[in-house]
Amino acid sequence: MNFRIISYILGWVLTIESIFLIMPFFVGLYYGESAAVSFLIGALVALVVGLPLIIKKPKNTVFFVKEGFVAVALCWIALSIFGALPFVFSGEIPNFVDALFETVSGFTTTGSSILSDVEALSHASIFWRSFTHWIGGMGVLVFLLAILPLAGGSQMYLMRAESPGPSVSKLVPKTQYTALILYGLYIVLSLIQLLLLIAGGMPMFDAVTTMFGTAGTGGFGIKNDSMAGYSPYIQWVVAIFMVLFGVNFNIYFLLMLRRFKQAFKNEELRAYFGIVLAATVLIFFNIHSGITNAADDIRHAFFQVASIITTTGYATTDFDLWPAFSQVILVLIMFIGASAGSTGGGIKVSRIMILAKRAKQEVQHYLHPKRVTKIHFEGKVLDSEVIHATSAYLITYVFIFVSSLLLIAIEGHDTTTCFTAVAATLNNIGPGLSMVGPTQNFGFFNGFSKIVLIFDMLVGRLELFPMLMLFNPRIWFYKRKKNI
Amino acid sequence: MSLIKKITNSDRRVLNVIIVGCGNVGVTLADRLSAEGHYITVIDKSLDAVKNVSETYDVMGVVGNGSSYRILMEAGIEKADLVIAVTDSDELNLLCCTIAKKVGHCAAIARVRTPDYADELPYLRSRLGISMIINPELEAAREIARLLRLPGAISINSFARGHVEMVKFKLPEKCSLCGKSIMQTHDILNGVLVCGVERGDDLTIPGGSFVFEAGDIVSFIAPVRNTQLFFKRISVETKAVSNAMIVGGGRIAYYLAKMLIDEGIDVKIIEYDEKRCSYLAEELSDAMIFCGDGTNENLLLESGIRDTESFIPLTNIDEENILLTLYAKKTTDAKVITKIDRTNFRDVIAGLDMDSVVYPRYITTESIIAYARAKHNSLGSSNIETLYRVFDDRAEAIELLVDQSEVADTPLMKMHLKKDMLIASINRGGRVFIPSGNDCLMMGDTVIIVTKHTGFDEISDILAK
Repeated sequence: MNFRIISYILGWVLTIESIFLIMPFFVGLYYGESAAVSFLIGALVALVVGLPLIIKKPKNTVFFVKEGFVAVALCWIALSIFGALPFVFSGEIPNFVDALFETVSGFTTTGSSILSDVEALSHASIFWRSFTHWIGGMGVLVFLLAILPLAGGSQMYLMRAESPGPSVSKLVPKTQYTALILYGLYIVLSLIQLLLLIAGGMPMFDAVTTMFGTAGTGGFGIKNDSMAGYSPYIQWVVAIFMVLFGVNFNIYFLLMLRRFKQAFKNEELRAYFGIVLAATVLIFFNIHSGITNAADDIRHAFFQVASIITTTGYATTDFDLWPAFSQVILVLIMFIGASAGSTGGGIKVSRIMILAKRAKQEVQHYLHPKRVTKIHFEGKVLDSEVIHATSAYLITYVFIFVSSLLLIAIEGHDTTTCFTAVAATLNNIGPGLSMVGPTQNFGFFNGFSKIVLIFDMLVGRLELFPMLMLFNPRIWFYKRKKNI
Repeated sequence: MSLIKKITNSDRRVLNVIIVGCGNVGVTLADRLSAEGHYITVIDKSLDAVKNVSETYDVMGVVGNGSSYRILMEAGIEKADLVIAVTDSDELNLLCCTIAKKVGHCAAIARVRTPDYADELPYLRSRLGISMIINPELEAAREIARLLRLPGAISINSFARGHVEMVKFKLPEKCSLCGKSIMQTHDILNGVLVCGVERGDDLTIPGGSFVFEAGDIVSFIAPVRNTQLFFKRISVETKAVSNAMIVGGGRIAYYLAKMLIDEGIDVKIIEYDEKRCSYLAEELSDAMIFCGDGTNENLLLESGIRDTESFIPLTNIDEENILLTLYAKKTTDAKVITKIDRTNFRDVIAGLDMDSVVYPRYITTESIIAYARAKHNSLGSSNIETLYRVFDDRAEAIELLVDQSEVADTPLMKMHLKKDMLIASINRGGRVFIPSGNDCLMMGDTVIIVTKHTGFDEISDILAK
């Protein structure tokens, strides 16, 4: 293990975080809040820890998959810990585990909150909470890669560990420019949404924080009733942009290059839109009755579907009150998640498609044992390695899910609560059903359950394996020969 | 702004390069060219090969047939500046370049190795519009032949169309230079410029007070006629060998034997494969072809290894070549030239007591990189004539055309030049001389520069900025 390069990357991430922490400080200053000071202190703490690690560039900048995974996992943990400090300093979330839960929920773009009254928070804290969504959405290491040229091709290992989806492809030959293009697209889309929200008469502060939550597919509301209080126009804008941020960013790159045909031929994109449409229609017919307004029902159905499938977690209505059929649909699309290479979480549409095709292949195999079949995806024959990795992903996913469920259940809440709480955190969604429904919060869990859920959120955001790597003792303890 | 330029790649200094074929040369090229900042896309039929390259270097990979229009489009042939085809198959390389030329506005380089095409290369190049055709085996054979003409040297790199050469040799015991400084040996060094001395692992670009020791590996640059005179003054062997013994009858052996026979040198080739032997016997009627295992000591003795003046192991297995070299060094005092394909473990090889080592793969990459450097110059005109990586990659020797007035007509001593850089010779209208501080560069000169900096692509790069 090249620990020197890992600590160097860690140092950079903390330094960047300290710059990010300055922003809520200014927001706090603008609103004249005392909480602002705690963000300045938080920024200084991160800087003091981070700066010594980056002063000297390590001689050996070569690293491999394991270093990439470990670096990413450690960076996200460090990011969350230092990001949680200001909440503790300001006393707004005095319990450290609670503060950590809130910050992890922010960075992993989950949006589950432990706060019962969000509106009581200072502007600075609300801003920071939402801003963590935006940072976590595209990933802080992708940001790092965009500004810090590391040597060689090994940087792809970092990107791969942080980016969602079964396989990561470069847009252009240089990793650094790939990262820059991704962030460029991200910023442009965010700005468009911001303008549309402001055009709809949303106050500036609300518009900025809502945009952060949508872009990162996070879903921290700034109001206690999430998005329910805003005008239908704003709800439509948010819903549409949630869907857009759940699209693979490679598609936007293709659009930018005017390769429209190739973009719209994308199988995952079609399936993703298809699922959104089907779920919306089914839920609409399920919740629509003679006495309700059809336009409202369509909007609510679409908003909730968009919010859940992209794993954002905003809500315009309390879907906990919906009929069971609609709730089950929502739970199903919780697991499907957004597209690979987007800012959303979940298992990802492309993985579900690969698994479905694999199942079909297996059935064909039983019908004609000698028949040679290959799985085609996105116009190419899928490499067996990708199929294996996808199956392994699903198995690991189920294991983590079941173990977490078991651990949460110890506390003794009802099954729906436990099940959807794990689903909502592991898939980075936010709200679940029953006691963790859209109008409720996660504050009632005890410290142990919260730590399990924090772990689930990180595991879900980093696509399982980087976090699991940390539990392998060989990463930390190995025999080193002295001066061969 | 420069960032946007870089992303949209409108920066003229960055080339979009497509490398077809991720074999050894393809990988080395991807490494070198991406290190020089170019945008590299590699194409190979094998997923594993592509994955391996794109994980090790900062390049993009495409899996598929490099001469297919669709795959080339996917790799971005429309915006490519240079396509390099280095797959195993000559025909595929030529086809790939031809298609690339039709689709995009790029320069194309193909590797063509089969002897059948060797004489037709100029024809193929002009007819197919390919910018450069490289034949690594032919080049390697040329380099070996050059060394056989001057057995005292470890390596010879030629510049200025063969008028100037950079020669590396080992200072023999009891040599008139040993124990004396460069200043004291001014007469002996007349007409040659010592540009580097390797002692152990250290490389020095020596100043006037540098003292030579026996066993130093000295590199100097000189016009060809001066080399002979210099070697005679310090009594290093200058007579060309009169016979050669080659183990392994591959392509390099074929080309080499042909060249040597033309010069009247007796050639013996030992080759294992009977069919290949009979082919060689057909093609090279003046050479003696032995059929047998070249690593068999008896066969070597029987074929006369003790009497041979030069011994060249050219088998396809590096380890065999190295063993044969060590054996030959022990049993004979022949000039031994070893061919090594693998490019890793160079330090290990440098540590062995071997005479001259030839790396065909470097010859290929060096000439392609020289081409790429010249190409990414804004004018597109080739102002890099030659480029060699010397001193185990620690320095470059470049031949550049002086085409920028900012460096011309000022005495060298008055110019603010980069450190670790040496202007080794000036070629002015065919007259080659070693410059002193009072000399000036003039427009139209070509100069040979030895430098530790990499990435020189125009003459103004010599100035410190």
